[in-house]
Amino acid sequence: MNAPDFLEFKNVSRHFGSIRAVDQVSLSIRKGEFFSLLGPSGCGKTTLLRILAGFERPDTGCVILSGQDITQLPPNRRKVNTIFQSYALFPHLTVRDNIAFGLRIEKRPQREIDHEVERMLELIQMKAEAGKFPDTISGGQKQRVAIARALIKKPQVLLLDEPLAALDLKLRQRMLIELDLIHDEVGITFLYVTHDQGEAMSLSDRIAVMNSGIIEQVGTPAEIYEAPRSSFVAAFIGDTNFFEGRVAELIGNEYSRLVIDGFPDVTVFNDKQLAVNNLIYLSVRPEKFHISRERQEKSPRHNVVPGRVEEVIYQGSLTRYWVRVQEYRIAVTQQHSRFLLDEKPITWDENVWVSWHADDGFMLERYSQSDEQLVTLPE
Amino acid sequence: MTPARARLNEILVTLPSAGWLAVLFVVPALIVVAISFKPTDPLGGAGAGWTLDTLKSLGNPNYPAILWRTLWLSITTTALCILLATPVGYCLARLEKKWRQMVLLLVVVPFWTSFLIRIFAWKMLLHPEGIIKQALAGLGIVSPETPLLYNQWAVLLVMVYTFLPFAILPVYAAAEKFDFRLIEAARDLGARRFQAFCRVFLPGIRRGLFTALLIVFIPALGSYVIPDIVGGPGAEMLGNKIAQRVFVDRNLPHACALSLLLILAVLLPLTAVLALQGAREKARPIIEEGA
Amino acid sequence: MKRSLVPYCVTAAILVFFYLPILVLVVNSFNTSRFGGSWEGFSLVWYSRLLNHREIWHALTNSLVIAVSSSIVSVLLGTTAALALHRYATRLQKAHYMLIYTPLIMPEILMGISMLLFFIAAGMQLGLFTIFLAHVTFCISFVAMVVLGRLQDFDFSIIEAAQDLGANWWQATWKVLVPLLMPGLVAGGLLAFTLSIDDFVITFFVAGPGSTTLPIRIYSMIKHGSPPLINALSTILLAVTFAAVYISQHLLEDKT
Repeated sequence: MNAPDFLEFKNVSRHFGSIRAVDQVSLSIRKGEFFSLLGPSGCGKTTLLRILAGFERPDTGCVILSGQDITQLPPNRRKVNTIFQSYALFPHLTVRDNIAFGLRIEKRPQREIDHEVERMLELIQMKAEAGKFPDTISGGQKQRVAIARALIKKPQVLLLDEPLAALDLKLRQRMLIELDLIHDEVGITFLYVTHDQGEAMSLSDRIAVMNSGIIEQVGTPAEIYEAPRSSFVAAFIGDTNFFEGRVAELIGNEYSRLVIDGFPDVTVFNDKQLAVNNLIYLSVRPEKFHISRERQEKSPRHNVVPGRVEEVIYQGSLTRYWVRVQEYRIAVTQQHSRFLLDEKPITWDENVWVSWHADDGFMLERYSQSDEQLVTLPE
Repeated sequence: MTPARARLNEILVTLPSAGWLAVLFVVPALIVVAISFKPTDPLGGAGAGWTLDTLKSLGNPNYPAILWRTLWLSITTTALCILLATPVGYCLARLEKKWRQMVLLLVVVPFWTSFLIRIFAWKMLLHPEGIIKQALAGLGIVSPETPLLYNQWAVLLVMVYTFLPFAILPVYAAAEKFDFRLIEAARDLGARRFQAFCRVFLPGIRRGLFTALLIVFIPALGSYVIPDIVGGPGAEMLGNKIAQRVFVDRNLPHACALSLLLILAVLLPLTAVLALQGAREKARPIIEEGA
Repeated sequence: MKRSLVPYCVTAAILVFFYLPILVLVVNSFNTSRFGGSWEGFSLVWYSRLLNHREIWHALTNSLVIAVSSSIVSVLLGTTAALALHRYATRLQKAHYMLIYTPLIMPEILMGISMLLFFIAAGMQLGLFTIFLAHVTFCISFVAMVVLGRLQDFDFSIIEAAQDLGANWWQATWKVLVPLLMPGLVAGGLLAFTLSIDDFVITFFVAGPGSTTLPIRIYSMIKHGSPPLINALSTILLAVTFAAVYISQHLLEDKT
């Protein structure tokens, strides 16, 4: 297991006219891994998947699957299979015939086909629906047939192109669990394409976040959420607050004091080892803040700033505040551990103290103004 | 797939139809254009050499009258068809589903029956011994001597009869998509029923009306069989002249020159309508932004 | 809100207008009288004469041969045309679309005369074969439009799915594309058949001696023949049409 570089993209590019759908992408995926390509629509993740499936040829670069260069192979000669976004079930064939399609094309003996199809029907628990046509079964069932139809080919990699996008919320959650179970059971590599961070976070071993044809960051879900490298990753995965500042002073080896225009000075963990006077961008997630009426005790590693609540949105399990701190308007989320009404909740126009630990702010290597659009802001 | 291979595939699927039409549609059309620049051979067919005389001869007083009649009959036919198709389209769109299917089928079935037979049916009705003539004469509306057949009015009547189903279908297709609550809104804002119909319904089905206009007007211009069967020498249209030049006089250059005239008559309204439609589509967002 | 009755009255009047001539024709086909101005008694004499009219049967055979062959060929060509138009968005396809679209708006008489001149120039003998060529030419565009309409809501990822599961181009076409397009191909074929069997104008220009089709026979009967015979023939053709419509409606209902 875990032999590295089981599936490799090397400098893969694909342009459509002047649009760089995929731009010099290199990526290695391990055997048996559940790997997700996450990004907004048009970021190139589907193109990358289609290059692997063989529906697109890269302009440059190559794709290597278990040691073999498959860049020039047609789709029908690659040992990868795809779950299409629309499922693409053959409407003129029954569930059973849909699943058998791949083996029939291979001209396998009928007995073997029957046996394998039965096994798959059992796996997806659809024996009773085997004779039905795709337009008479539910969305979740179609999804399962699509999975069985691909898995029966015993692919080395299973490609999933936004497979849950067409399902409603409840069903999506159930299929999420089923996908996870199937991955555990068959043990093959899954390459999962999605724009939904929740799906990617809960399913994946590792995630590659893509934006405008390039890979912004590859890492485990926790790495990507807690330690985003770019403003895009920080803003696209979850919500965040951005601050623009300058390193003013080093505090020991690990911390530094930042001067931020229109905001009090703050202390941050300086994992990038930046020197004094470096310009930096800081990201702090809303849930890392703590909000209270009383001033928190200030320790060297704690930041405490005064502010005024401008907006409160109650969302059940948590409440979202927008707090004015000098020229910044920061987003803060707070969970309720007690019955809300007993808490005497903080409300509009109250003066509050906002505090957070210096380790919870994260300095970004790349920053783009446009990524601020991705953050949820109050109107 | 490599770009060169994709290109080759594209050409392979395009070639059969494009090749067929290039040989049997484009080349013949070019031949028509070429022959209209040929002199007339008195023995039939086209003479040697090139000349503009054939095209000039279209100024011969005979032709403008026929062109004028062709235009007049086609325009009137189109106007009548749209006038009649609009209430039918409206009615179909408002009918209950069960009835709508029935009536729609009744409208379409004549389209599937032989074109010649429908014309023949009218010839029999309008015939001096046919029942319409008998009935009208019996009621004293027309004198027994008045001929109903072999004149422009007979041609107009049969043209409307033949082309009306073609006008109803696009109007109905547009009306079916029309949101009838808009009429209620207009009524609510004080419009009378007829005002609401004209100011809300008609603009709403504009596209269908344009389609109906082209789908009737263009074949109407090229009518040949209808004037041939129910029209007399006084009701000839451009199509009849072309056929006559081909089959009777064997004067091919003239037939081709007349064909060019007909193509021109088709292209002018077509481009006009398409340009008008294009301009409207383009202008719409501006109007909506302003409103 | 009270609705106006005017559109309903107009519709009813138009249906009467549509069917009155047809009805009179059918009734007259059973009338002993030659011109049908008055009812002179029921008879099947025109039908029995029609049965012995050898030329009509010959013309019908010609029409069927041409309609069947030209609809098969035009379905093939129209379908490849629709696939090319749907699949590629190149300048070549823009020109291709123009080429497919123009015959639809070209008056029949112009297509007739231009093909006649072409066949003469090419030194071809006018006959069934030239009629077949002409019919395919005007049917391609109609078939292409029908199939193109079908393709509009066709999910091409199904073809990719077939390839993904190991099917080569040929297998994907025959096992997936053709079965799924079948309703469109049948609809296009039926339209081509109807257009071909009913065409008079173009056929009239490109027909030669001995290649009389049914519409041409009917035309010459209208011009010179005996009206009651045409009444009888028309009634039979109408009955065939109505039966076809009725059957196809029933087949459609069963499917949905």
